[in-house]
Amino acid sequence: MGNILLVSQNNEIIENYRNLFGKKPYKFQYCSDETSIFDYIEINAPDIFIIDELSQLADIKQTIKKIKSKLDNAQILLLTNGENVDDEISKLVSGFIVDKFSNNLIISTINTHLKTKSNLDKLSEKNKDLADSLYRLNVLYNTSSQFAGTLDTKELINYMIEGLDKSLSFDLTSTIFFGLKNEPVLIINSLYDISEELMSALKLRAILNYKSLFENRTIPFEINENTLRVVKFIKNPTNKFTFSIFQYDNMFAPIDLGDNFFGCIEIFKQNPFTTDDATYFQTIVQQVSLPLKSAGLYQEIIEKNQELEKLERVKSEFISIVSHELRTPLTPIKNALSILSSGRCGILGENAVKFIDMAKRNVENLTNIINDILDINKIEAGKMDFNYKIMNIHSVIENVKNNFDCVAKEHEIIFKTLEQENLPDIYADSQRLDQVLTNLVSNAIKFTPTGKSITITSELKNASDIKTNPYFENEIKDLKGNYIVVSVVDEGIGIKKENLLKAFDKFTQIENSLSRKVGGTGLGLPIAKQLIKAHKGTIWCDSEENKGSSFHFALPVITESIEGKTIQKELL
Amino acid sequence: MKKILIVDDEQDIVESLKFVLESCDYTCYCAYNGEDGLKLAREIIPDLIILDVMMPRINGYKISRLLKFDAKYKNIPILMITARSQEEDKLIGEETGADEYITKPFDLDEVVKIVQKYLNTEEK
Repeated sequence: MGNILLVSQNNEIIENYRNLFGKKPYKFQYCSDETSIFDYIEINAPDIFIIDELSQLADIKQTIKKIKSKLDNAQILLLTNGENVDDEISKLVSGFIVDKFSNNLIISTINTHLKTKSNLDKLSEKNKDLADSLYRLNVLYNTSSQFAGTLDTKELINYMIEGLDKSLSFDLTSTIFFGLKNEPVLIINSLYDISEELMSALKLRAILNYKSLFENRTIPFEINENTLRVVKFIKNPTNKFTFSIFQYDNMFAPIDLGDNFFGCIEIFKQNPFTTDDATYFQTIVQQVSLPLKSAGLYQEIIEKNQELEKLERVKSEFISIVSHELRTPLTPIKNALSILSSGRCGILGENAVKFIDMAKRNVENLTNIINDILDINKIEAGKMDFNYKIMNIHSVIENVKNNFDCVAKEHEIIFKTLEQENLPDIYADSQRLDQVLTNLVSNAIKFTPTGKSITITSELKNASDIKTNPYFENEIKDLKGNYIVVSVVDEGIGIKKENLLKAFDKFTQIENSLSRKVGGTGLGLPIAKQLIKAHKGTIWCDSEENKGSSFHFALPVITESIEGKTIQKELL
Repeated sequence: MKKILIVDDEQDIVESLKFVLESCDYTCYCAYNGEDGLKLAREIIPDLIILDVMMPRINGYKISRLLKFDAKYKNIPILMITARSQEEDKLIGEETGADEYITKPFDLDEVVKIVQKYLNTEEK
């Protein structure tokens, strides 16, 4: 089939060409002015244009360009006497027919160009298909990336529908989706508005479709058409769909993964779907299932987490209440023992004194344990109060030294301090630091045999000069500027290297031969660690088995540029 | 003899405090709830008050405030006994006007020392 348009005013030529091409397989038309050319293009695009160079066109070049812009593959032949052809025109046209061509030569020229035209058309078609595939692959890729980017089920469904719209440009989709709580929603995405009647029909159809998936099997979730929630997205509300939508081509698929069922989707389009369309539809619908499953699991984790947090809160409150209930009766027990031992109720015999002392010692012990539990509980709940002031570490060391002098003497332990003079001030809660140092010293006393020594040292160090063993490198790596390092060095039994890190864990008392002899909750060091952490400091230990341990803590020094208030802000 | 008012809803604590303080030659008056404590304080005008924080109806902080803002009683030293409990934590930051705080479980000798400090008396 060759559609030929001749542009000429020469009746002789027109007559000749009509004779040549006025019959099948050709369709011959002719005209003489520009307007008519483009009318023909609109009505029945010619394959070949034969333009007489003598035709009275205003601008022949312009006309040729315009034709080419309308019809990519059109073959334009110039009818010429072969002399003085404009260079530009000869570049624009596809070929020439020269006056002196015999009729046979004219026919063969036209046939060659018709063949070319038909080949070009086929090529364009292929290209278009390729471009189309590429576009859809792109959509698929984008949709996949979107699926990977969220754990929100609503978003996932939206991305799925968006992806289907871009690759299939549907007229309407009807999706039943079971959200996280298995409450079904009917999501209607439609090009045009939908009447109430049509909506109820769509609803019924969706439910029937859903039930048809589970023939002879129990359906996973019940759906009631009266309670089914409907969400409608209308692109163009000025128009309305009629019931003819049910005559449109349609595809239907479940959204599921193994035993997990999330919903189902039906898609309608006026033009029939191709096999490619079906593949894209299946792919996108299948692809959304995996992230939907992940989203469900993620939601489960979140809920579990919330439960755990609640349990943690309950635990914390429970500990607090129980500890106080335990502490309340301790006061009168302590008071009674104290009254008895004061001799106010008469002089006690030697054994009575011994046993009252035993009771007193154990009440004291119990009090300390309860206080430790309350402290760690408070710290973990972030409810510990600190009373920060500008202070010097010397006062704390001196106080602890005085408090333990007697005990050390009793145990025949050499107890000394080695303080660097004129240490700069720190911004700290002296009572809490007292608690930390007291804990370190009392531990040292527990594990140091008679005749050996315990030393408290203090010195000013730059963060870069603070060294530790590999176990605690993480603890000191963030230190910056100057620190006061306080150490409690003993000559006790020491700690095995592999146990060094555990020293600061809750409820651990490092296994050793003395562990039965030495009491305690095992909360002292974890509390110390938290208290030092609250001061923006760090705590660590070093030890060599049978030679002794040293516990160190570093606290930031107040620099001149950062006085009181700034530090306070940092700490609080 | 100096008069000391002890207010605490725990009888055992009141009793042990009373015993020790009486043995140090103080006259002790006791109340087992906030209302009675406040009434008694206004009635006898003691030389010192030992006051528990957590008590039903009127807590120790409230009593302390009522007395300390009253010219007639504001010079009476108040020793506040606290349990550092969560309920008490909610009251933290309230102005109490108390002169001393003792944390439960306290040491009786400690209490005697503090009382003597305020009443300028030596144990016989």
